[in-house]
Amino acid sequence: MSFSYAHSPVPVRDDIPEAHRKTWQRLAGPGSWWTGAERVAIASEARNAPNCALCAERKAALSPNVAGVHDHEGKLSEASVEAIHRLVTDAGRLTRSWFEKLMSEGLGDAPYVEIVGIVAGVLSIDNFHRALGLALEPLPAPRPGEPSRYRPTSAIREEAYVPMIPAKGNSGDEADLWSRMTGNVIRAMSLVPDAVRSLKELSAVHYLKLEDVPDPRIHMPGLERPQVELIAGRVSALNECFY
Amino acid sequence: MLRASSKLTGSEADLHAVMGAGATHTGVAHGQQLVAFAEAAVAATHEGDPALATARDELLAAAGPAALVDAAAVVGNFQRMVRIADGTGIPIDHGMNALTAGMREDLGIDRFGSAANTAEVSGAAKAAGRLGQTAAAAAMKLASRLRK
Repeated sequence: MSFSYAHSPVPVRDDIPEAHRKTWQRLAGPGSWWTGAERVAIASEARNAPNCALCAERKAALSPNVAGVHDHEGKLSEASVEAIHRLVTDAGRLTRSWFEKLMSEGLGDAPYVEIVGIVAGVLSIDNFHRALGLALEPLPAPRPGEPSRYRPTSAIREEAYVPMIPAKGNSGDEADLWSRMTGNVIRAMSLVPDAVRSLKELSAVHYLKLEDVPDPRIHMPGLERPQVELIAGRVSALNECFY
Repeated sequence: MLRASSKLTGSEADLHAVMGAGATHTGVAHGQQLVAFAEAAVAATHEGDPALATARDELLAAAGPAALVDAAAVVGNFQRMVRIADGTGIPIDHGMNALTAGMREDLGIDRFGSAANTAEVSGAAKAAGRLGQTAAAAAMKLASRLRK
C-alpha cells in the first residue's frame, strides 16, 4: 500500500496517509487541462528541478534572467518546464512579466494554475517525507482519460497574475470551495476548482482546515498554535514569500 | 497569526524569530528546536541530510513524536503555500494590508521580491494599522486573562 509509513521514526497519524493517497489518486488521473500522464510528468519534473544546472545558475545569480535550457525529461513543453522548475527552485523571484512571457509562449492561464497545484502538492508531500527522514513515495502510474477542460465562468481578472473567482462568487458547482470567509491564497487557484479542493484536503492534515485558520485558538494535535505559526513564518521567510 | 495566537495563550512571541534573528528567544515553547528544524528541512536536498537528522532528533527529544509529525507537516504545507502565493501573484488581502504594513516594515519583509504584488500602504494607513495591531493585541491579552 502506498504511504504506509511503516519505516517512519515516529507514528504518523492516520489522516495524513489518507490525504496523501487521495492526492496521488487525483494526480494520476486526468485533470482539468492535463492528462494523467502529463500530470505525473509535471510531478516528476518538479522532483527533477533541484538537479537542473540552469536553475542552479539562476538561483545563484543576482537576477534570475539567465538564458539557457533546462535539464528535463522531454515530456513537456519548454514553457511548462520553465514554469515547473521556477516554481520549485526560485518562486520568490517570479514576476508578472515572467508569467506573461509564459502565456505568450502558449501556456494558458488555467493549465498554468493546474501546474501550480500539482507542483505545490507534490512539494508538500515530499517535504513532509524528507523532514521525517523518509524516502520519497514513488509517483503513481497514470490513468487514461481526457482532461475536462472545465473553466469556471465566474473567474475574473483582479490583481493577481491569474483570474480568480471573486470571494463572494463561488456559487453553483464552486459553492464547496469556501464558505463565508476566504483569502486570496485560497482563491488563487480557483481557475481550476479541483486544485482548490486538493489544497483543502492537504491543508486539513498538514496544517488546519481552511475555515479554522482565522481562529487563533485552534491548533494541531501535536503543536500549540504559536508553535505552528512560528514554523509557518520561518518557512515562508526562508522562501522570501511576502504573502 | 503568530502574534495573535501567542497573545491568546498568554505568551509573547518574538516575531523577529521568523526572520532568523533571535531564534534562541522565540517566546514560543521549544521555539529554538522548531526554528532549527524548519531551517534544516527547507535547506535539505535529500532525506538523509545530516543537519536535518540532528534537528529532527533535537525536536523529538524536546517536544515528542506528535510534535515532530506536525512540524514536518507544517513545513510541507508552507513549502506549498508559498509556491501558490508567489506563483499566482496574489496580493495580501485588502483588510490585512494596512493592518500588517508596520510589522512588515519592522521585520524587513518589504524587501522580498513578491512585495511587488501588493499595493503600497500610505503613511497614514500604516499608522492606523499599527494602532489596530495594538488594539487587537490588547484584546487578545484580555481574552487570554478571561480564559484563565
